[in-house]
Amino acid sequence: MSDDKARRAGPRWYEHSALAFLAAVWLLGLVWAALSAYMGFNSFPGPIAAIKELPTIVFDPNAVWAIAQSVGRMFAGYAWALLFAIPLGLAMGRSQAVYDIFYPLVSLAYPMPKAALMPILMLWFGLGSFSKILVIAMGVSLPVLFHSYQGACRIEKKLVWTAQAMGMGPVKRLFRIVLPAALPEILIGCQVGVVMALIVMVSSEMIARQEGVGNLLFTSMDMAQYASVYAVILVLAVLGFLLDWLFERVRRFLTRWSDSNNGASLR
Amino acid sequence: MITIEQLGKTFQTARGTQHTAIRDISLQVPEGQFVSILGPSGCGKSTLLYIVGGFELATTGSVQVNGRVVNAPGPDRGPVFQEYALFPWKNVLSNVAYGLREQGVPKAQAEEKAMYWLDKVKLKDYAHFYPRELSGGMRQRAAIARTLAYEPAILLMDEPFGALDAHTRLKLQAGLLGLWEQLKNTVLFVTHGVEEAVYLSDRVVVLSGTPGTVREVVDINLPRPRIRADLLRNPRYQEYVIHLENLLIAEAAA
Repeated sequence: MSDDKARRAGPRWYEHSALAFLAAVWLLGLVWAALSAYMGFNSFPGPIAAIKELPTIVFDPNAVWAIAQSVGRMFAGYAWALLFAIPLGLAMGRSQAVYDIFYPLVSLAYPMPKAALMPILMLWFGLGSFSKILVIAMGVSLPVLFHSYQGACRIEKKLVWTAQAMGMGPVKRLFRIVLPAALPEILIGCQVGVVMALIVMVSSEMIARQEGVGNLLFTSMDMAQYASVYAVILVLAVLGFLLDWLFERVRRFLTRWSDSNNGASLR
Repeated sequence: MITIEQLGKTFQTARGTQHTAIRDISLQVPEGQFVSILGPSGCGKSTLLYIVGGFELATTGSVQVNGRVVNAPGPDRGPVFQEYALFPWKNVLSNVAYGLREQGVPKAQAEEKAMYWLDKVKLKDYAHFYPRELSGGMRQRAAIARTLAYEPAILLMDEPFGALDAHTRLKLQAGLLGLWEQLKNTVLFVTHGVEEAVYLSDRVVVLSGTPGTVREVVDINLPRPRIRADLLRNPRYQEYVIHLENLLIAEAAA
């Protein structure tokens, strides 16, 4: 009886993720339009005005170049962060000595807003890409480090023992056993890191304004082109959404062997 | 030959007190013998096995294998754990080939040998499955194949069938016995199952108490190859089971 009911019901319309997503976007747009119309500031254009302004950004080579530069720096910072934070996090999870050395440094760095370091980095390394890449890398490092550490701590010790019994040494174990075993947790850190990279990227460019999306945003602001400001924000939102979506796919693929992966890729 | 001399292990507990898991255990296991360590849970029998494996260090005494003191794991002593400990990111074939690859065997050769062992444990058709896609019994067969594949002289089995249902357990016991009667590795087999110990072993070492000490060593003089259905009718088998059963009961009452 209840079986029959369950079959008839099927997934509700809002349980289709694409539809639910469209509904959410639609709702957000509606609230935005309503607020903008109600307040009537010319510094607060509605979604239609922002979308109308989109082509002037997407088809403007300078703007596209600015965005490409920003994204390039973002990935550079991201890659550096993973390169250092994953091995360090894993080592901290596996070795008490490494943990004792690095934990105080990490816990000091954690609550510090990375953008606050920008002025110092600018003094040291100039206004160019290097200080921005560095600050992005710092922002991304912490969630990646934290999750890598957590993942390494929770490893079933008998996996490590099994590898030891086969004659595998400690450094090789870190990369061949601890890394894959902790991968599901590491990738969660990396996913948080993607969004973090985007945030730090924009804020670094707002502080050191020479080029990039952050600069584009503030230049439009200075020139009172408010529709452009919102169009840039839209571009950033879409970029962030796409990156996160893409990462989710990659994560599911890489952890398709894992119990904790509820993706249906293997069934 | 495994020589265990006056072995003891004391832990520091989380509360900062000392806990002695085993004390003054001496034991000799000749090459090619199947020896079970039997005892109630908490008597330190797994701890003993981990020390022989080199995974944990003894506080007192020593373990020697062929005259060499054990202080680290090595490929001469292959473990099989109750939790299987298969590498979940590797498929069954790669798991079984892993130890060989680690020993420097080329990939094609290692996989060929892995297939041989998978055939022995009747998992050939599951070579490309991931561990999470297998049942408990299949996972443990894969884990046994993985350890046997790199041909350790000594097998260290830590309640390998403890997490399986009764039917699967009987099947795996018979399978292991069939393999071992061909291979004749030295086996240290930790269990709390009396019948399992008698059925499989040449010798049963009964551990008791906290801290665990050797209470009795019982030689099992039953002909091989052993068939469980025949043993159940064998008065000598029944006596062994009853005797060991009584030892454990007396221990629980004490």
